[in-house]
Amino acid sequence: MSRPDIRQLQPEPAPAPDCEPDLAAQLALVARGDHRAFELVYGELAGPVYGVVRQVLRDPAQSEEVAQEVLLEIWRTASRFDPARGSGAAWALTIAHRRAVDRVRSETASSRREQKAAEPQPAEDDVAEVVAATLEFQRVRRCMGGLTDLQRESIKLAYYSGYSYPQVAQLLGVALGTVKTRIRDGLIRMRDCMEVTW
Amino acid sequence: MKVMRDDLHVFTGSYVLDAISEAEREEFERHLQTCPTCDAEARGLRETAARLALACAVTPPARMEQQVLAATYRTRQLPPLPADRPRRERRRVLRFPRRVAVLAAAASVAAAVALGITQLSAQHQLDHARDTAIARVVTAPDARVEAARTSAGGNVTVVTSAALREAVVSTSGMASLPSSRVYQVWVMSPSGARSAGLMHGSSLLASSVRPGDRIGITVEPAGGTSKPTTTPIAVLPV
Repeated sequence: MSRPDIRQLQPEPAPAPDCEPDLAAQLALVARGDHRAFELVYGELAGPVYGVVRQVLRDPAQSEEVAQEVLLEIWRTASRFDPARGSGAAWALTIAHRRAVDRVRSETASSRREQKAAEPQPAEDDVAEVVAATLEFQRVRRCMGGLTDLQRESIKLAYYSGYSYPQVAQLLGVALGTVKTRIRDGLIRMRDCMEVTW
Repeated sequence: MKVMRDDLHVFTGSYVLDAISEAEREEFERHLQTCPTCDAEARGLRETAARLALACAVTPPARMEQQVLAATYRTRQLPPLPADRPRRERRRVLRFPRRVAVLAAAASVAAAVALGITQLSAQHQLDHARDTAIARVVTAPDARVEAARTSAGGNVTVVTSAALREAVVSTSGMASLPSSRVYQVWVMSPSGARSAGLMHGSSLLASSVRPGDRIGITVEPAGGTSKPTTTPIAVLPV
């Protein structure tokens, strides 16, 4: 190989990381019934939606079902997304988290989850587990490290496990007011650490 | 009722994490209508909560996409809300610059994360060698992340550990190719381009990666080639 192959490979100009305006614009198109725009939105949001639902619900089959409901809800309610009120990602992921938590807190879900636990688990191959790290993970991990233990545990139990603040208080053995305060203080610290500017 | 209001204000955090009851949520949302400070804080914390979700993104089963896309054709959409809502003015006053919020989504595209991977690996006892290897890279203390949009649409993220000399290449939202074509990943160095494999799923592990190398992705004939034959749709540093 006398000719270095590297010559064939011209670097692309670094693209600007401006996906959020993109997402907001795509959501506006989705609101008008644009299926192609929805495919792009799906590409951006399916991973985080499925990820957060699964964090809360744990059961892969149920998570898939809820994630589908959430993504369809994004299609259905895209006209209600208001870019002046927040990012498209935050709008969509709020729907996702709330839907997962609602599912956990409904009685039917708990009985269904117990049934599920008794059933044989699907082969892991069946579940697309392939994940990789993002900048976001690095940031969250770093900023979580800057919280007090109580702040961090409260936030994790509330968000990733889907517990209500009274449940969090009970699990951590602290007063209700303390949990509310720690969750808020911790999130404020996370917000500042991650330089969230909304 | 100052005491009451202060008490409610503390709910911003629990509210955005959905850690309050339905009744409390309704009460708090009424409160937000009359408390611009709380409303602004809730919005900032909601964006923060979204980062927690982005940080645990997991690639969903492939069948989900077709099912959801098919369902959109059967589902009527909601009309927009009437435009003359009172909060409009207040919102303008409170609006913050949003440049940085943008960065979150930049990361969201890659749809991935190690918070997810370590937890999922532990919980589900994933013993696939590849998943373990990927987990090792993305959780390495020296892991570095590069992300870019490809010229053919979709996004690519490269996480490299110099210590392990390995890189995890992940894609999301890529255009599906005809069966006669594949995405092929290359480790590019001044001495040439070496295939790191074909992109079958959404992630791939490239080994023997050295500082200064770059990762390229090309579209190649099915089965791949020994040398790149097309212009890369993305090139990222490691």
